[in-house]
Amino acid sequence: MKKLYKEFLITSEPLNAEILSAVLWELNIDGISEEINCIKVFTHDNNITEESIKNLLDELRKNNLIHNYEIQENILYEKNWNEEWEKSREVLHVTDRIVIKPTFKEYSPEEKELIITLDPKMSFGTGDHPTTKICINFLENYIKQDSKVLDVGSGTAILSIVAAKLGASKVIAFDIDEWSLLNGAENIRLNKVENIVDIRMCELKDIVESEFDLIVANIQRNVLTELADELNNKLKSDGIIILSGLLESDRQVINEKYSSLGMKEIDFLQIDEWIGAVFRK
Amino acid sequence: MAKKIDGYIKLQIPAGKANPSPPVGPALGQKGVNIMEFCKQFNARTQDKEGLIIPVVITVYSDKSFTFITKTPPAAILLKKAAKIEKGSAEPNKTKVGKVSKNQIKEIAQLKMPDLNAHDIEHAMSMVAGTARSMGLSVED
Repeated sequence: MKKLYKEFLITSEPLNAEILSAVLWELNIDGISEEINCIKVFTHDNNITEESIKNLLDELRKNNLIHNYEIQENILYEKNWNEEWEKSREVLHVTDRIVIKPTFKEYSPEEKELIITLDPKMSFGTGDHPTTKICINFLENYIKQDSKVLDVGSGTAILSIVAAKLGASKVIAFDIDEWSLLNGAENIRLNKVENIVDIRMCELKDIVESEFDLIVANIQRNVLTELADELNNKLKSDGIIILSGLLESDRQVINEKYSSLGMKEIDFLQIDEWIGAVFRK
Repeated sequence: MAKKIDGYIKLQIPAGKANPSPPVGPALGQKGVNIMEFCKQFNARTQDKEGLIIPVVITVYSDKSFTFITKTPPAAILLKKAAKIEKGSAEPNKTKVGKVSKNQIKEIAQLKMPDLNAHDIEHAMSMVAGTARSMGLSVED
């Protein structure tokens, strides 16, 4: 079933987004969009009603911060909001070997090239981002024939598909996001690697398998620091972990954390402000 | 030559937690911007401010590329931190849930001055104090 979101369109006199949003964040809302003539408040929480917003705005009126207001409630159904951008996607040469193409583009590969067909919809890992490029570069260098791989926060499953095409014999991909499960499974089928890549919607603690030869995690600093011990436990001795989703300023924290577990940084790449590192256990 | 600007998008979202659901998805999607690219950048750049609400202004260019700047969190969030409370009062006129000092109001007003449309610091302070009272915070000297 498609997810529903409530959108409350609020106009007030005067329209001061700062004052209005100040009280609206008291509710369990997901975000606010400031428009020219109104503000829009979005929530997935069905318990938030026009009445709950009215109560807050009445207080602002009593305190003379606004004179009057109007609220209009709309329902939004979840859809692929990235569709418009997807239409502009082109064939992408990530490395000399790895080429990513959307389903609607034709491409005749050269002999050495591996083609990944990918429709990212609303999952992370479109192939455009520097961190995805960094991870793919590392995968090319560190995947060995028949490697057992864990893809942490798999998004579109792009890294799992690349790992499978580069010779991994088993890949477990997982993400906490429902879109990623649906979209990842779709991309895995498109690339005919469903016999190698096993995709799940779960957290790291739910993965019972261990002794991975290689782990790849393109997420963000806080998550990678938090998961460091668990990731270390999943990796076999002498195994490789590829970390990215990191900014240049995150390097020290990540280095300290993973070195403290006895791992050694053996490779590093930077594209613009983004970095990725490879550690060996 | 400078790139042609297609428009601006102003959002408020929790630091480090941008995802393609509303408001990010519909707002950026209709402009043809790569939503996931924005989320990745925003989350990496704001991960140190987790727990705070970050207003962000996104400039969209005609080639569908974008840049963004982040602003100061809404006054209410800063007031809650200053008063060390979780939530404002349900009946702010009757039940006070905490207090803030004039100095704290001044500090918040100064921080928020660029985003408040206030004529001067006194005006900004009265706006912040008004927000404080509407949340059930008393303002003390």
